[in-house]
Amino acid sequence: MIRRTFLKNSGLVAGGLLLSNGQLLAKPANGIIKIGIIGCGDRGKGIMRVIDQFPDKFKTVAICDVLDMRLKEAQKFAKQTVYKQYTNHKQLLENKDVDAVVIAVPLNMHYPVAVDSLKANKHLYLEKTMTYNVRQALDLLKLVKNHPKQVVQVGHQYRYSPLYYKVKEMIEKGYLGQISQVDCRWDRNANWRRPVPDPSLERQINWRMYKEYSGGLVAELLSHQIDFINWAFDTHPSEFMATGGIDVFKDGRETFDNVQVTLRYPEKNLIGNFGATCGNSRDGYLFKIKGTKGTVSLLTDQGMFYPEQSLLKEKGVVDGVTGATRITWAKEGGTPILPEPTRDGTWYALNDFYDKIGTGELPDSNIYTGAKTAICVHLANQALYNNEIVHWKDEYNVKA
Amino acid sequence: MLFVAGLCFGFTYKPALNEFEIHGYAQGTTYNIIYYAADTRVNKYQTDSLLEELDKSVSLYQPASLINKFNASPKGVYIDTLLKALVSKALEINKQTNGMVDVTVKPLVDAWGFGSVKNTVKPNSTVISKIKKSVGMSNLKLVGNYLSKKRPEVQIDLNGIAQGYSADLLAQLLERKGIYNYMIEIGGELRIKGSKPNGNLFKIGIESINVNDFEPQPMRKIVSLKQGALTTSGTYRKHVKANGKEISHLINPKTGYPVSNEMISVTVCASDAITADGFDNGFMLMGLTQTLKYLKDRTDIGAYIIYKRSNGSIADTTTKGFNILTITE
Repeated sequence: MIRRTFLKNSGLVAGGLLLSNGQLLAKPANGIIKIGIIGCGDRGKGIMRVIDQFPDKFKTVAICDVLDMRLKEAQKFAKQTVYKQYTNHKQLLENKDVDAVVIAVPLNMHYPVAVDSLKANKHLYLEKTMTYNVRQALDLLKLVKNHPKQVVQVGHQYRYSPLYYKVKEMIEKGYLGQISQVDCRWDRNANWRRPVPDPSLERQINWRMYKEYSGGLVAELLSHQIDFINWAFDTHPSEFMATGGIDVFKDGRETFDNVQVTLRYPEKNLIGNFGATCGNSRDGYLFKIKGTKGTVSLLTDQGMFYPEQSLLKEKGVVDGVTGATRITWAKEGGTPILPEPTRDGTWYALNDFYDKIGTGELPDSNIYTGAKTAICVHLANQALYNNEIVHWKDEYNVKA
Repeated sequence: MLFVAGLCFGFTYKPALNEFEIHGYAQGTTYNIIYYAADTRVNKYQTDSLLEELDKSVSLYQPASLINKFNASPKGVYIDTLLKALVSKALEINKQTNGMVDVTVKPLVDAWGFGSVKNTVKPNSTVISKIKKSVGMSNLKLVGNYLSKKRPEVQIDLNGIAQGYSADLLAQLLERKGIYNYMIEIGGELRIKGSKPNGNLFKIGIESINVNDFEPQPMRKIVSLKQGALTTSGTYRKHVKANGKEISHLINPKTGYPVSNEMISVTVCASDAITADGFDNGFMLMGLTQTLKYLKDRTDIGAYIIYKRSNGSIADTTTKGFNILTITE
């Protein structure tokens, strides 16, 4: 089944699932949340692997994918039990055993599957980017407001790591001084494709290559850093400028394999540079936040702080300092932000998802921040593909 | 030309002194050198190579280092002059501190999670008493260039004095090249000689104990010295958590347990950095009363101590030697 048809069919039945259940959504008695995985591609299976690390919190009971091969791959994670398997997410949502769903489907399907899941009274761990476009982001937000008992967490998992909380705190406390530039990259020297066993499955497996399903590199990769800046500075960009092309792999793809997005945050006097290429891997993941007092340089699991040299000298009414040895791991002489590398962000994100289901509080990566970032991604892609400068509109302002 | 030459006539030729700085990375921390000379007498290549040589002997982080070979050996190994100098000094300071400074404490340091071997589970008393059998300087014997151990489990950790020693080695290098006005800092341990061209002594800040590496605090105290070394040992920066409890990185080699006393930091002043660095951890372990007693009449070595009073307030004090050897601003 082609995903577009699938989407249309889903739309037809959506109305029939408006079952409201006022009682719902207290944590089950034994405290274990039963999970349905919708979308068993790399990301869905990756999340399953992390879920397996919390046997006292989560249990995967059902899996869904439109491709049988993905279901087979996902089923291998089950040790003794056999997961309930579905090829249509609506059937999975009818399963009363499922308390919460992980939605890890192609971007264009986020919205319809999320809507169906909300209407089926499930909690949602909805992968990033939250929705494919601005309209869907605002519509989903409205719908979630009408389902206050359900927890909706958006999968910007990196910022759940203690490292990223610490960096947010450093920004807020002014340790970096006045921040004027953010540099982000997410590069690879590879075509970003997955193997296709049968040519007829090309669009389903390599959906990232096609505009109909995907927001390309901006949505799939750079959205994490765009989201972090929105969250850490409590802001959003006002102007979106971009350039890019299919420059490295002219293989029939539609989404650009070489992009550079420049965002302007006038309230913060800040410029954000977000770039990704499939034609060089030297930088890989790069995330630098640059202020008058120092620079934060981040990987996904570790980070360094480099104070500005001129400032160190200014402090220098002294020529030297004696003190308990400061351990420095980088040859450039920075200070590690945390003493040890953190775990993968998904570990922290799922832990918090569990807690929030218990308390009913708004997750840190929530429908509002998720909507803001989804809107940013859409506007950045508009700038990129239409070759125009795009401006934020007041109607996009969403706040809890 | 004649006019200029005429002006110079009658003055002894004295070349202008220029400031040279070297900044680098060694032993898991940074090093900085400032020296004054007419021209570049020592460059970064030379200082880096010197420190790399030392690392090859004494670094626990280099798998092939001589110290790691000794630690892995069942009986002992032949050692080089660098390792020999450090071990000899370690034996000497061990005697002088009545066993409180002990480089064989490594297995205990590792067990508590502070060493090159990471460990996050707090060891129990059975484990500690078992490890203690291989701790103590009587387990080591240095005959000529052969360093032997009594048991295969005996391991040494020279990190407590190696930084000081590297500052001394850098000082020797500078002086061999005719540099007599310098300040060398490696990981917060300093070796100093002479003054700046304007005649001012080097000003050394003693770090505030309210450490925030992201926003440097004002110095706790500023001192100068004409020549010698200043090193600091403190519990305020290096802590690990075991079973949810913060523990200090200083382990008492006699009890096998981390030390918990009133000491927050000790800055030691001595003629060379290996001595100062060798004693600073010892004073942290000895505690305030014993340290003050030990240093009461010493003028060759002194200490500036920051400690916590029983009511929780922070206080500091200096010993006689510190007051003689340094000038407080």
